Parts: sequence; C-alpha cells; structure tokens
Amino acid sequence: MSVVAQAANPIIRWEWIVDEWDQIQEALIQHLELTILSVSLGALVAALLSAVALRFRPMATPITGFTGFLYTIPSVALFGLLVPYFGLTRTTAVLPLAAYTLLILVTNTLAGFDAVPASVRDAADGMGLTPTQRVIKVELPLALPYIIAGLRIAVVSTVGLVTVASIIGQGGLGRLILDGLRRTFWTPMTIGATLSIVLALVLDGVIYLIGRAATPWAQRARTT
Amino acid sequence: MTVVVFAQAAIPRDIGLFEFLFGAEYWTGAGGILTSLWDTVVLCAAVVVVATVVAVPLATALAHHGRGELSVTWIVTLSRAIPTFAVAGLLVPISLRRGLGFEPWPIFIALLLLALPPIYLNTYTAVKDVDRGVVDAARAMGFSERHVLFRVEMALGTAVILAGVRVAAVQVVATEPIRAFLGGDGLGRYVRDGLGQNNDNLLLGGAILVAALAALTGVMFGLAQRLALPAGVRRLARPRTR
Amino acid sequence: MNRRLLPLLISVLALFALVAAACGSDDDSGGDAEAGGDTDEAAAEEPAPPDGPTIRVRGQDFSESVTIAEVYAQYLAAKGYEIEVLTPAGFRTEAIDGISNGDLDLIIDYIGGALSALAPDAGSSSDPAEIVGIIAPLYQDLGATLLDVSPAVDGDALVVRGDSEAATISDLASIETVFGASAACFERPQCFIGYTDPDIYGIEFADTVTIEFGPLLGEALAAGEVDAVVWNTTAPQIGEQGFKVLDDDMGLHPAQNIAPIVVSSVLDAYGDQLATDLNALSAAITTDDLVAWNIETDINFRESDDVAADWLEEKGLL
Repeated sequence: MSVVAQAANPIIRWEWIVDEWDQIQEALIQHLELTILSVSLGALVAALLSAVALRFRPMATPITGFTGFLYTIPSVALFGLLVPYFGLTRTTAVLPLAAYTLLILVTNTLAGFDAVPASVRDAADGMGLTPTQRVIKVELPLALPYIIAGLRIAVVSTVGLVTVASIIGQGGLGRLILDGLRRTFWTPMTIGATLSIVLALVLDGVIYLIGRAATPWAQRARTT
Repeated sequence: MTVVVFAQAAIPRDIGLFEFLFGAEYWTGAGGILTSLWDTVVLCAAVVVVATVVAVPLATALAHHGRGELSVTWIVTLSRAIPTFAVAGLLVPISLRRGLGFEPWPIFIALLLLALPPIYLNTYTAVKDVDRGVVDAARAMGFSERHVLFRVEMALGTAVILAGVRVAAVQVVATEPIRAFLGGDGLGRYVRDGLGQNNDNLLLGGAILVAALAALTGVMFGLAQRLALPAGVRRLARPRTR
Repeated sequence: MNRRLLPLLISVLALFALVAAACGSDDDSGGDAEAGGDTDEAAAEEPAPPDGPTIRVRGQDFSESVTIAEVYAQYLAAKGYEIEVLTPAGFRTEAIDGISNGDLDLIIDYIGGALSALAPDAGSSSDPAEIVGIIAPLYQDLGATLLDVSPAVDGDALVVRGDSEAATISDLASIETVFGASAACFERPQCFIGYTDPDIYGIEFADTVTIEFGPLLGEALAAGEVDAVVWNTTAPQIGEQGFKVLDDDMGLHPAQNIAPIVVSSVLDAYGDQLATDLNALSAAITTDDLVAWNIETDINFRESDDVAADWLEEKGLL
C-alpha cells in the first residue's frame, strides 16, 4: 500500500460546494420536508391533547407529564427502537420528531389559554356566547401569540433534530454532516451545520411574520 | 484487568428486557449500570453547574442594564438548531490530534452549548419581567442598585431561572448518550451496544435508563422550583413555561 | 454571507413549494445518481435492452460500500437495466432486512460478515468457497440468491502503530495493549471473543474502548488512546498513517470477498442475463481497486459516484 499524501482539508472547500450542488440542494429540500411533516403531525396531535387538557382539567398534568417524558428519550435510541418496526423509512424519522414537538406545543398552548384574563371570559359569557363560541372566538385568538411562540421553538428545534434522522437514511442536512464525520472531511460538516442554522432562522422568521399577520391586535405579543 | 474485558462482553445477545433492568449482575462491576450512571451524572452535573455559573450572571447583568434584547432571540434561535452531535463529532478528532483524548472536552463543550441558552434566556426574561412598579418602589424606598438586583429582581425571578436550569438539565441528560458514540461510555453505552450488536432489548433497556434519569432530573428541579419561592411571592412572580 | 444565502434559501423554499405541489409526497428520492446519463448510448449499442423490474440498490453507510453500490448500479444502468440508487443507510443488518422485506433488490456484501450475521455459531473459515457453502442456502431461505464472489477482498484487520513490536496477533498476548473496536466486534467469535478466548489467542487486554467504525479508529490509534484497533484491510489510512496489519497467525478472521446478492424473483425475471452481467463485473474488481477507491473517497475527498464512474470508464465497462 503506497503512502499517499492527505488532500488539503480546510474548513470549506469551495469547489466541493459547486461540484456537489445537487446533493446539497437535495439535502436541503429533504430537510425542509421532514421538518414540515414532523411539525405538522406534532401540531395536530398537540392540538388534540391540548383540547382534552383544557376540556378535562385533571388531564392536564398527566398529559404534560407524558409529553415531558417523550422529550427525555434520547433521539438516537428512539430512532433505533422504531427501525425494527418501520424499517429505514420516513415514518421512523417523523414519529419521534413529531413526539419531541409535543411538550413545547402543548405547554405553550395551555399557557396561552391560562393567560386569558378571567374578566374577558366573564365578559364573553355575559354577552351570551356559548362555551364553544367563547373558546373559538375569544380565547383562541388571545392564546394565539403563545401558540405561535411555541410553534417557532418547535420548528427551530426540529430543524436541529432532523440532522439526527440521517442515521436512518432519511437524508437531509444531517447526511452531509454524517458523511463528513465518516470521512473526517470538514467541508460537508460545515455546510450541513451552517445550512441547518440558516434554515432554522428562515423558518423562524417566516412563522414570526405569519404570526404577526394573524394577530394584528397583539403587536406587543411576547415571544418567549 | 481481565474484569474489564469480560464486563464488555458480558451482556448476552438474547437478554430479556427485565433480566437486564433488574439483574444485579448488570448493575454492578466495571461496565455495570451503576458505574455508567455515575459517569453520566458526574458529566451532566458538571455541565449544568458550569452553564449556570456562566449564564446566570451574564444574563442578569445584561437584563438589569436593559441590554441584549436582540442577542437573546438570536442566541436561542441559533442554539436550538445547532446539531449537538455535529459539534461533538467535529471536536473529537481535534481533541485526539492535540493529545487531549476522547474525553471529556469534546462532549463537555457540546453539552455546554446545549445547556447555556435555556438558562440564559430564562434568567434574562426573569429579571426583565419583574414588575417595574415593584422595582421603582424598591428604589423609592432607598434600595441601592445592588439591592434592587439581588433582593428584588433575582429573588422574584428565582423560579423562572430554575425553570431554565431544569430545561437545560433535562436536555443535557437526554443528549449525553451521544458520548458513547464518541469513544466514551456512560449510560449511552447500552444504546450504542444495542444498536451495534443488533440487540433490541439492550437498546430498549438503555433508552429506558436514560429517559428515567432525565425524568427524575426534571422532577427534582420541579420540586426545587416550588421550594424556591415563599407562597406570598409566588403570586407575584407568575412563573412562565420557558 | 447572509446576503448571498438568503435569496438562495428563498428560492429553494419556493422550489420546494413547487415540488410539493407537483407530486405530493415523493418517497426517498435517494442517492445522487440515476446512475450515469449514458443509458442512451448503451441502448444504441445493445438492440434489446434487458426487460424486467427496477432494481433498487443501497450501499451501507461507509465509503467503500457506497462506492461499490455505485459501481454495480452505474454498470447495470449502462447495460440498460432500470436502476434506483437509494440513500446509503445502515449496515449489514439493515441490508439483509431490506432484501428479505422487499425494500431492496440488490446488495453487495462481504461474505465473512454475512456469515457472522446469518450463522453466528458457524465457525470461521478463510476459504471463500466454504463460507459460500454455508451462506448461500441461508440467503435462499430469505428469497435471495448469492452470485459469484469477487476476487476483491476487504478483510478484517487487527491494526497497530508502525512502531509496535508485535508482528502477529499472538504477539499481543505478551504486550500491554489497550484494545479499540466497534460495538459489534465485542460480541463476535471472529473478533473480540476470539482474541480473548484462551483456546484461540487468549489475549488479556489492559483495557478496551468502544469506537465507532471508521476514521476515528485511526485517530485514536495515532493519538495513543488505544494500541490496537479492529479495522478493515482496505482502510486507506493504514498506509497513509504508517500503521501495520498484524498477521492473523491462528486463522481467526474469515474470508471477506465481496459478492452481490439479488432477490431471486428479480433475478428470474431477467433470465440468465442479469446473473451473467453481475458475475462479469464482480470478476473484474480487485482488492487493489477497493483500496484505490477508498483513497479517492476518504483521503482525496472525492464523491463515490464520480469515483465509480471513472473506474468503470477506465475499465471500459460503461
């Protein structure tokens, strides 16, 4: 075996970006798809759980406790546990990612409804709204800033977690990071990590703008 | 020294989940659960302590002087998107080449980056959120700025600060297993070996151990949070979720 | 940087919206290659392109396996087969699962590794034919066919630093050694269990470290964190960093020739043609080729699909 000189391994090799542009673009799109799928599924489940917790108050503690427990399971292990059941598929990636969003989404939704002042609720009742109308027309809009804040956190942390899904072959920017790790080749790692941060910032900004447009009355809404 | 060797190979392929979780022989010894648990707890505690010592004074100072509003949002946004395993994976070869070994620096720094933002954010919000009326009242009563900071702002914010430490601690405990994939051990070793040896019960057992430790961490900080405030102040402070 | 990246991201987002709107959820678009654009050319040379189901192939998640998968995929695509290259993922277990549950049609694996996965209790053998005799029927049970083995070998290697006094694995019994290997090694008779078994090598290692398979093994060895690691013989870092492979004087390591495994129904659908074509390719690959590919991907940082295309071109196989 001949002794070979290691090729230069700078933090970024610009020509690699040009040559592998297709790969980078594909990874970015896969990353975006996985993020959107996971957060959408998470939001759907979180909406149901929150509705149950709000309707049946004693359920709130077990529900947040359960979502909190899900959050504590290490992601690598959770992906690994699902592989025997769902194989190296998108399902295996999306289920844990969606599960991790629940804690943030549910706690923020509940906090949003809790923050509705009792006087507002009384006023709504006094105006003759049914409980359902009150929730939809009065409480939900007032809780919206909290829900949006939760969505922002959920999306940003999901973008970070999607990188881990590359270990089960679902592509995304984690694929570039993993490829770099496997070869001790810095360029794909740098690109993968940087784009993941940029994607998070962009999505965060998009939801922030949507949230602003959706709650014109709450320009001073807190964004925890 | 042979003990080490056999401990590595001691977990049989066809082990049952309960056999692993409740078998005394898997808890004791060199590669046992107790040793792994201790390794994990020590590292996580060190990370959370350092993160708290760094983030709390920094955030308090910035919030007290009313600076850093923009930095808060950016730091938190950026940090949540940084893949911890990429940071640690990048640092391991660098550490090895500098003769610093597999442990503890790469994993320590990666986990620290994970722990700093929630603590920083909550401290900042806590201090910032203290009712301005209360602060003004304190000033009017002749409190010095130091007293305003320590006796009023931080005292009222303790529960919120602790909530940040709690989030950080739970995240650190749940993420620490990546250490086992980077030349270390700790509780993540069972997850790693379960994956690598295709041993589902070992993998499941490892995941349960990590999740249980993380859940316990959350519960303990939750209790601390509750104890941190006298009932009278609790009404004023209105702890927020994250 | 932000100013340049932002419009780019926005356009990618817009593109994504288009893609999503156009085709809903399209699964696993996968690897970089629909394998070569030379299909037209090949079709022109061969009047009757082979007719049969699409062949899905996936490399395991390390460079050599990815390159091998690309070589087989691009070769078949050039011959007119419908090929789909999936994103590399998992290791042997996932590859074998993929074959048996219908996610994959073709895998290329190392026979010794397959032996320890399919028949963990069968002994080791350095004779490829003997291993084939054991694993071929086991693959048959999974509905797949093991084709001819290639002369190309990527064997197991116990690797030490160049200045080590040891020349054979047996020598380690008398040298204080910290041992490093991946998690899988620690439960395999042909690996850690064989090294420590008093009836085989009987080595008592001073300590053991579990290290993910790959370049980290070399980094740990070079840094002195460990004194011996279980690697593969074609790892280019062995030559590059001046390490040496210890002689397996007790014959513990199995033969590790590469060989394609095809889902039997797919093989039958193509008649003899597919088997003939694959066997011709396997026969053309040598151990030196594997080393050369790994140098390209892991030392020179070229991409597996390009390396595969260059090699096929050079050999006149496209």
